[in-house]
Order: sequence, then C-alpha cells, then structure tokens
Amino acid sequence: MNEFLNLFKEAIEREDEVRLEDEFRKYDEWDSMAYLSVIALMDDKYNKQMEEAEFNTLQTVGDIYEICTKN
Amino acid sequence: MDTLFNPFSLKDKVVVISGAASGIARQCAISCSKMGARLILLDLNGVGLAETMKLVDSPEYHFYSCLNLLDYDKVSQVIKEAVNQVGKINGLLNCAGISTTNLFKITKPEELDKFFHVNVYTAYFLTQECCRVGNWAKEGGSVVFFSSVAGNLGEIGKSTYGMTKAALLNLSKHLACELARRKIRVNSISPGAICTPINMNLPHMKDPEKRAVLEAQHLLGLGEISDVANACIFLLSDASRWVTGTNLFVDGGYSVK
Repeated sequence: MNEFLNLFKEAIEREDEVRLEDEFRKYDEWDSMAYLSVIALMDDKYNKQMEEAEFNTLQTVGDIYEICTKN
Repeated sequence: MDTLFNPFSLKDKVVVISGAASGIARQCAISCSKMGARLILLDLNGVGLAETMKLVDSPEYHFYSCLNLLDYDKVSQVIKEAVNQVGKINGLLNCAGISTTNLFKITKPEELDKFFHVNVYTAYFLTQECCRVGNWAKEGGSVVFFSSVAGNLGEIGKSTYGMTKAALLNLSKHLACELARRKIRVNSISPGAICTPINMNLPHMKDPEKRAVLEAQHLLGLGEISDVANACIFLLSDASRWVTGTNLFVDGGYSVK
C-alpha cells in the first residue's frame, strides 16, 4: 500500500501526505495533468485501463488503490 | 537610491549547472556564485570542474560531481545527494552539449543518435530528475535550456547540431505549460557566436577573413561568455518572474536580418 501511495503522490506531484481516505479531487494539485498522470500510473504499473466516465465515479485515493490491486 | 534593491539577486537560490567544466557554463557558475547562488555543478570532466570550483565565490557552499549525464541512474542518485547537501533546487541551466559542422548528405544515423542523446536526452532527463517533487523547491523557480541561433535559423553544415537545438527550444515551450502549475518557469536561450577559449582555435574564429565575415553577421560583433551568463542570471532571477516559454536571443543582432 505504501508503494502505491508514494507512486500516487509522485504522479500528482504532491509534497504533503496522501491517505487512502482522502478525496483526491480536493487536493490543490488535482487538475487535468494529475488526472493523466494517474491514468498513466494505473496503466503502466498496474495494467489497469479505465474510461473517463468510470474514473469519474471514483472518489477517494482508496477507490483507485482498490482498482489497481484488484485481480 | 535603494542600494538593497536588486531583482537580479540569486541569493540562497540553489542552481544546477550542467557542463560546468568549461566555456559558457563555467562562466555561468562564476557569475551565479557572485550573485549569491548555491551551486550544483555537473560535468564529465572532473579536472575542469575542479578548476571551475577554484574560480567560483565561496566554493564551500557548492556541490560538484563528475558524472556522465547519459547515465540516468547515476544522475538521479547524484541529484538526490546534492539536494540533501545544498538544498532544494530553484534553478537549472542545461548548458551541457556538443557541437559539430557536417553536411546533410554525409551524415550517418549513428551521428544523429549521438547528438540527440548528448544534446537533447541528457537535458530532458536531467530536467525531469531536478523537477521531481522533493528535489525542486516548493516555491518554484526557473529552468533554462541552451538552444542556439542554429536552432532557429538555417546555416550550411549545421543541420545535425541545429536540429538538437531546435528540439530544446521547442521542449522549453511544452515544459513551460506542464510546469507552470508548480511555478517553475521554463525558457530557452539562443546564443550567437561567442568567443570561448575552445572555439578561438576553430577555423571560423582563427582565420582572419572568416572571422571578419562572422563578425559582420553580428551587428554588435562577437559575444563574450559573460554576455550569455548575464542573460542566464536574468532568467534565473525573480526579475523574470513573469517570463516563461520564451526564447531569448543573445546574439548581438545576428538573427535580426
């Protein structure tokens, strides 16, 4: 989980801590580039591809973590 | 007069300079140190770097490392080490590069590869490493890519070199867009013909007739390394806080005509 949180943090270029319960859209760093970076992270590291509509249903960092680690 | 007013000050800014063992980059190191910057100097040439360290102000405040910028893992390791020692980065001068004169019709793929790796890839990945969260200062800063008049204009025998310099110029515009959210400004600088100890022995500088032609092409005559270093100070300092994505010609008027 820590590895995911670090990768997520790096992807959105956030200096402060990231927690699973955080609503990522409330981060100051969240914008279209952060979105693209997270989509790329999910694809590159976890082999998960996702349409924008589906991504829009995710609320927390934990929601993304769950998708990434689901078999 | 307010003697403390100096928008060009680099006091306590941490500035990375690649290629700092000689020429323009060495002068940038000297000038930035005089403006109060703390330096992270990188070059393959350890002897030249040590010489640069003797020339900068307050050498004890700076960090230097002899490394091959094509060794990306090593670059990552060295930048982390430097940041731990000197502090988070506020500025980056991508000076390292090589030049050549060769004709299009005889250029081989491996030569293009070499030039793109040394002139473009190294600057690209050094910038990527420096700009990582944790390495770059939270308050933002300034990245400068060294392009050239040859990256903007046509010239016989300069297609290989010119293409790499055009790539850097264009890269700076895209990165200006991507990094603005973190208050990192990105610009390029395009020097004209500069008198350096190395190129003074090249035919176009040494031969009086060829030199006269070259001088005539530059409205203000040939440049000095300090002319480029001073422009870099402007781009690194808060004096240029509203300048990003631009290309600054420092060419004595070469590109005007």
